Parts: sequence; structure tokens; C-alpha cells
Amino acid sequence: MTLAAGIGYVLLALGPSLTLFVTVISTKPFLILTLLSSTLVWLISLIVLSGVWRVFLPLKTTAWWPYAILILTSIAFQEALRLVLWRGYQKLEDMLDAFADRVAKPRLYLTDKMQIALAGGLGHGLAHAVFFCISLLTPSFGPATFYVDKCSYGPFFLISAIISLAFVTIHTFSMVIAFNGYAEGNKTDQMVVPFFHLIAGTLTLVNLVSGGCIVGIPLLYVVALSTLAYCGNMVWRRFTETQIRLTPQNQS
Amino acid sequence: MDGSILESIGVEIIGVMSPVSICMLLVVLIVYSLTSFSSSSGEPIRTAANLVYLETPTDSTSEKIEGSLLNALVFVILIAAVTFLLVLLYYYNFTNFLKNYMRFSAFFVLGVMGGSIFISIIRQFSIPIDAITCLILLFNFTVVGVLSIFAEGIPIPILLRQVYMVLLGIIVAAWFTNLPEWTTWTLLVALALYDLVAVLAPGGPLKILVELASSRDDELPALVYEARPTVSRNPRGSGFGLLVGGASSESVEVEMTRHNPTDSRNGGDSNETMEETSPLVPSLRDRMRSSSSGSSEFSSTTDRIHQTGTDIIEDEEVDLSALGAILGMGGNESRRGREIIDEEETSRGIKLGLGDFVFYSVLVGRAAMYDLMTVYACYLAIISGLGCTLILLSVFRQALPALPISIALGIMFYFLTRLLMEPFVVGTSTNLMMF
Repeated sequence: MTLAAGIGYVLLALGPSLTLFVTVISTKPFLILTLLSSTLVWLISLIVLSGVWRVFLPLKTTAWWPYAILILTSIAFQEALRLVLWRGYQKLEDMLDAFADRVAKPRLYLTDKMQIALAGGLGHGLAHAVFFCISLLTPSFGPATFYVDKCSYGPFFLISAIISLAFVTIHTFSMVIAFNGYAEGNKTDQMVVPFFHLIAGTLTLVNLVSGGCIVGIPLLYVVALSTLAYCGNMVWRRFTETQIRLTPQNQS
Repeated sequence: MDGSILESIGVEIIGVMSPVSICMLLVVLIVYSLTSFSSSSGEPIRTAANLVYLETPTDSTSEKIEGSLLNALVFVILIAAVTFLLVLLYYYNFTNFLKNYMRFSAFFVLGVMGGSIFISIIRQFSIPIDAITCLILLFNFTVVGVLSIFAEGIPIPILLRQVYMVLLGIIVAAWFTNLPEWTTWTLLVALALYDLVAVLAPGGPLKILVELASSRDDELPALVYEARPTVSRNPRGSGFGLLVGGASSESVEVEMTRHNPTDSRNGGDSNETMEETSPLVPSLRDRMRSSSSGSSEFSSTTDRIHQTGTDIIEDEEVDLSALGAILGMGGNESRRGREIIDEEETSRGIKLGLGDFVFYSVLVGRAAMYDLMTVYACYLAIISGLGCTLILLSVFRQALPALPISIALGIMFYFLTRLLMEPFVVGTSTNLMMF
């Protein structure tokens, strides 16, 4: 029974990303490599952050502001990392295009670029879910479960799985938004990503209040869904634009 | 097939990474489900890896370090001695003896070590099965395994071969995880260093072995995982091996061989025309090009098509003949290389020695005894180390050791995760805070 529950938590947190992986990523080896390297980058960023914060942990106080600083610094660091990733991606894109020219294949399509961004984002999301949720699930396979005082509506594992599902969604699709925004030089797209990330991070601070998670988690899902909607909207816009641009060419 | 290039890049890398991942995953599962397996035996078993010193939890740290260093030293010396013996045997053409020895050891590993793992699995999950059935199943499993690993003349599907290779790796790795903690770490470091020396240093046993095997156009007398489904095995193919070696006798090579699927003796002209008209060729070439992994920088290495006519081909030619000369394998080889250079289609496969599978999995299995978090970190580190090694392989195009980078990264990430990351992550996420 606990085994079933444990697997259920895993699937709850990772189910959608697993679907994405199987349907989109796994058919193209290069995307798998992108995913792995982006996961590694996220892991390194987490290690660096924890190396910095190791001195102050564990926090003895119950005050909320040290946690707020922690989350703010982490988000700032990760958003800076996204810029670095973008630089790396540009180099990669040039190399891929050169390679495509050499083997007489078409250059990267728009969908290819978006898929690379998606793989990168999914890597971030997966790493997040794995380190913040799945790796703590080991006790849930055992004969007991665990409740947190401040959010006693459900087992800790269930709640953390639900939260990390929201974060997987945010991480995955915000990478697509960000890369597209950088490529187009679109300021709104660029700014909206740190904004979503920041809002989502600060919303988890609500969980510090006793019983706060009953408010915090739905709000978190609002953020996640709006990221998703924004990304879908943006991709739709790009596709219709390129189609309009392509059709006259075809006719002439 | 106007598919994007995303589909064709990195096929070979994934072809190596996925079996390694499967191997590690299964070892982790075995370690998890059989944690009682190691503890129930009570007596620590004495193997070749802890001849000198038996670690007990009560010993002081300095004693543990000293003892484990001694253990690792003895083990590496043992392995080096065995490898030298094998090289000597191979040098004096005792190939049959070697093959039979490999068969015996595969039989032993699958039958005895695998058998005991199966028995403990059966016990753990209380699977109802009687002794006779179990014995028959085990015997069949073992015999098929031995046949499929060293099949000569029997057409065995490559998939079966690969499955058995991974199984062998899993079984050996699961045994190695029984070693005490400190011994495991020092052993891994020592093996990585040994691997570095044995493959790269002049006179290193594995280097000699590879050169011998390539000069004889022979299969390597070792257990090696082949990533590529072999197109057509030409026994006379000029497969001089580029090989990443590793430790232990049953080991440890990443190899890049080239086979020319077209028989070079068929006479160039007919071959060439046939290839040029054949609709198969483009795909073959694409596949070949795609095999040259990740980025465009080293894509040139497999670019052999004469139409593209760049200086790369000349490089290649020089390369071949120079190597032929250096290895002193007779002018015949290099001349043939020159002749066939134009119509030769190369398909290269990456080969990874079984020892690499084993020690990667040992590292991950050891990490699994601590926490799941360290498992993920080590897995990522090892896989990225393997990726780095493969990239280096296509740059240097010679035998490379696959253990050092991966093991170094793996150990580094293990301790970083354990010391730095875990308190951080547990601290934040038990407060239900994430970012």
C-alpha cells in the first residue's frame, strides 16, 4: 500500500514531464543530451547556492525574513544562470547550423529551436522535482507517512509532490518563453519569466504560516497555469507569424 | 527524410548512455531491495578487494583510511598482474585458452554470483518457486548467456548480447556494493588512476592489448559492450581499435572501431558505382556522419565522402598509413588502407568495457546506500563524465580511459551533495518552500 502511495507521489510530481519526455524528447537523441546537461547545470547551481547558505543553516529562528532572503537570492542566481544558458545556447545554435550546412540538411526550424528550449526547461523542472520532492520520498515507501505541523491537511509527501508539479510546469515553460524572448528581443517576454519565478517563489513563503498552504498552493497553481497560458499564447503567435511570412514566399 | 538534424546528432552517445543508465538503475534497485542481503550475512566476506584489511564500523577513521588504501593497492596490483598475464597470453597467441577462460568466468559470474543474487531476491520477495525449477531456469539462463557473449558462428541477435553484457555488469556491481564504505571509495579512486595509466602510458597493459588486437584485426579478448548493431562483420575489416580501456581483466574498454562493410577485395570500381547508385547510401552516410556526436567541431572525423573532397580525407589517409607504420603491421595494411580509402564507408561503433559499467554502478550503488539525492547527483555526474570522455574520444581518436573523469566527478558530486546540499534542500523543503 505504501509502495503504491510512493509511486503515486512520484507520478503526481513527474507524470506530465514524463509524458513530455516520452512523446517529444526521447525520439531525438540531441534533445536527451540537452535535457541531461540542463539538469546538470541546475544541480550545479543548487550545489553552489547550498554551499553559500551552508554556513547559516539550519535556521533556528521562526522568523520569515531569512527564508525570504534565501528564496530571493536563489531566484536571482537562477535567473542569472538562465542568461548564461542563453549565451551557451546561441553558440550551440551556430554550431548546429554550421553542422547542418555541412551535411546538407536543413537548418534548425523554429520548432527545433523551441524543442531545444523545451528540453532545457524540462531539465530544470526535472532537476527541481527530483531534488526537492523525489529524493525526499524514500521514507514514503516505508511503513509510515509524515505530516508537517504547518500544513496538516495531507501527508507532507503529497503536498510537496503537488507543489513541485507546479514548479515543474513553471520551470519547463518559462525556459521556452525566455529563449524566445531573447531571440526576438522582446522585453515583455524577457521580464515576465523572472516575474513568474519570483511570484511562485514568494508564494511558497505563505506556507510558513500555519495553515497557509491552503491559500498558497491554489495561488501557486494560478501562477503555473498562467505561465502555461502565456507560453501557449506566445508559441501560437510565433507560428501564425511565420506562417504568414512563409505563405507569400510559397506563392511567388 | 527532411527531419531536422536534431534526430541524427548524438545517436551513438545515447546508444552508450542508455545501457549504462539501465545498468545503474537496476543496481540501485537491487541495492535498495536487498539491503538486508548485505547485512544478513553478518560476517563480512573476504574477497580480492579486501584481502589485507577488514573494515569494521568501530575502527577509527585513520585506521579505516590506512586499511582501505592498502586494500585498494593490493587489488590494483592484482588486477595489473592479471591483465599483464592476459596480454602475455594474447601475445603468444593462446587465443583459445583466453576465450575459454572468458567463457568460464562468464559462466561463473552468471551462474554462481547471479544465482546467489537471484536466491536473495527470491527470499526477499518470497517468490514461490521450487529448487529444481529454479536450478533449471538458472542453468538455461547461464548457458544462453555464455553462448551469446562469445558466439562464434552462431547468429545471436546483438540485442541479446547487449542484454547479457548489462546483466554481467549488474551482477558484478551488485557484488562489489557489499564492500565496506571506505574501501569502496579508495578502490574506485585507485582503479580510475590505474585505468588512466594502463590505457595512456606507453607500455600500459591495456594499451598493448588494444594495439595487439588492432594489428591482428582481431576481436578484443575482453568483455566489451558494443553499442552499434553490427552491419556486416568483415573479419578482415581494417578495424584498428581506438579504445578506452579500463581496469580489471574482464574489462573495460570504450572502443571505436571502424569496419568497412564493403569487402575491400571486391575491386574498387564495381563497388564504387554500386554505392553511388544505391539508394541505401545516403542513409548510410547520414548515419555515419551522425555518429560523430555532439558538435560540428569534430564532425569532420567521419567525413569520408570523396565528393566533399576536403583536406580531412587526406588527414585520414595519413592517419591510417602512419598508424600502420607505427604499429609495424606490414606495409600491406597501410597500402590497402590507401587503396580503399575512397570507397571505404566507415561505420563506427563505440565500445564500452564492462568494467566501466561495473564501477559506475558500484559508485551509484554506494551512493544509494546513503540517500536518493546522492544517487541522482552521482548519476548525473557519471553520465556527464561519460559524455566528456566520448567527446574527447572523437577529438583524440585513440583509446581513452572511461573511468577517470566519471569517477572523479561522481565522487566529487557525492560528497558535495552529502555535505552541502542535503541540509539545504531538506531544510527548505520540509518547510514547504521551493523555488
